Amino acid sequence: MNAALFRITPTGWAGLAFAAFAFIVLPSVAGSFWLSVLTSAACFAMAASGVGFMYARLGMVSLTQVGLMGIGGWVALRLNYAFAFPFEVNLVVASIVTMAFGWLLALPALRLRGLYLALVTLMAAGGLEILFATFKFPNGGDGFWGVKLGSLEPFRGPALATTPEAYLRYVVACVTLGFLFIEAHLRLAPGRAWAMIRRSEAAAMAAGVNVTLYKTWAFGIAGLLAGAAGCLLAGSLGLLDSGTFRSPESIMIFALAVVGGARSWLGPIIASVLYRVVPAFLASWGVNTNLAYMIFGAGLLHALITAPNGIAGQIHEAAGMAARKLGWRP
Amino acid sequence: MIEIENVTVRFGGVVALNDVSAVFTTPVGGIIGPNGAGKTTLMNVVSGFLTSNSGRILVDGADILSVAPFRRAQRGLRRSFQREQIADDLSVRDNIQVQLDPLPGPASAKRAEVERMLAVTGLTDQAGRRGAELTGFERRLTDVARCLVGKPRLIMFDEPAGGLSVDETARLGELILGIHALTGAQTLVIDHDVELISRVCNEMLVLDFGRRIAFGPTADVLADHNVKAAYLGTEEVLA
Repeated sequence: MNAALFRITPTGWAGLAFAAFAFIVLPSVAGSFWLSVLTSAACFAMAASGVGFMYARLGMVSLTQVGLMGIGGWVALRLNYAFAFPFEVNLVVASIVTMAFGWLLALPALRLRGLYLALVTLMAAGGLEILFATFKFPNGGDGFWGVKLGSLEPFRGPALATTPEAYLRYVVACVTLGFLFIEAHLRLAPGRAWAMIRRSEAAAMAAGVNVTLYKTWAFGIAGLLAGAAGCLLAGSLGLLDSGTFRSPESIMIFALAVVGGARSWLGPIIASVLYRVVPAFLASWGVNTNLAYMIFGAGLLHALITAPNGIAGQIHEAAGMAARKLGWRP
Repeated sequence: MIEIENVTVRFGGVVALNDVSAVFTTPVGGIIGPNGAGKTTLMNVVSGFLTSNSGRILVDGADILSVAPFRRAQRGLRRSFQREQIADDLSVRDNIQVQLDPLPGPASAKRAEVERMLAVTGLTDQAGRRGAELTGFERRLTDVARCLVGKPRLIMFDEPAGGLSVDETARLGELILGIHALTGAQTLVIDHDVELISRVCNEMLVLDFGRRIAFGPTADVLADHNVKAAYLGTEEVLA
């Protein structure tokens, strides 16, 4: 057994403590509006973790993540209305189908790097936006697209989580599993291979790393997490709107993942708070939610100028310094 | 045994390697030549990062030119680069382990081999440190240790002594000399340090402007008039 796989670092303990807080405390204290906001934020945290991990570990910029969430959501809704599968089956199938889309996206993208890769993924996001706007999301109608006008069919959520509080806990548990899934990869052979690829593709090949395989693998993981996030979002709302999955949202979630800090579990959390919770706060205070874009811009400038590892990196550094001052092991 | 047969590489109108042939049969071979002679180009062809326009390269009788670079590595071909390629995020141990990950075999045996090569290179105490925390020599040693694991058949070092002190170069030379006894692998070394090359290499290929100008036992090659004229220089005697 690989002991390194199960070693919990101080950062890891902090992450688990935060997950426990989000699982136990947040659903108990939040009202119905904030339950909805926090559930949505948790879903986007999962999607941001995928895009952040690709950027931090492989230097690959994917601007399709929210579009991939839309695929996961579409598949989950379609399965929900076509079959009587439990929610968990829909979740798994939606994640796997989106992972397959991630692989498809990887095929042309693997020959590209940097700006060109980002542009190809952005074009894919644009294509998905058009598809979602044209064909809409299933709501219980007939035929392949399953769209109808008028009253919507009820959506079957997970049997384990029939209240909004329980559903937030359900989503937090899924997001935690998603983060642990990424962490496990980073500690095993794929993580070592990705680190070598980020260093230099030639060096990775000289070390026997199949660069194509591991890049495709990374796209697949990002797709899997986006698909799961899309399904969970569909489960939260019971329906999806094409406006949620526009291509600028993919750019936004990537930028916020960088602002939050792509190398840490905390980064996607910060990204999702900025993306969903800050606008909700502004709305609850009666302030124009477009002010959030100014906050995002300031955050991005802050990250570019002073925090190459994002806000999460600065928090980790501050925590490390505090630990050293207190005489704890850094 | 490495057989390089009539290898030619052209970049547009520039002939980087011009019908180069050599058969390396001894444990450590060297490739020297002035800057731009084609040394690294030849190494890139052997490791698969460049495609030759013509010619063949055989390692232990098998033609390797049609094999993908990462598969060459999995079949025992190792190389280091002029600038050591260590992942800053990974520990020294993981930087070595990455070479073994694609290979078959039990994890415990792989871990044992990594520990063995850490000991050989003197990196045992540094095994848990991240690549970013290492000195230049420690990074180079990590690179060497990575080349030693996984039953290598051919190890190529591209200017491994670049930037090292005299003492560090001497220690590196000792390591290179011990590779054949340790792993059974043949080694090819490119370097400008003639002292290192002459100490560790049994035979040597000299390139100049992409052409082979000498090949044979090291002492004979270093005494060759053409080699002196093209690379080593001749002594100017003042009357």
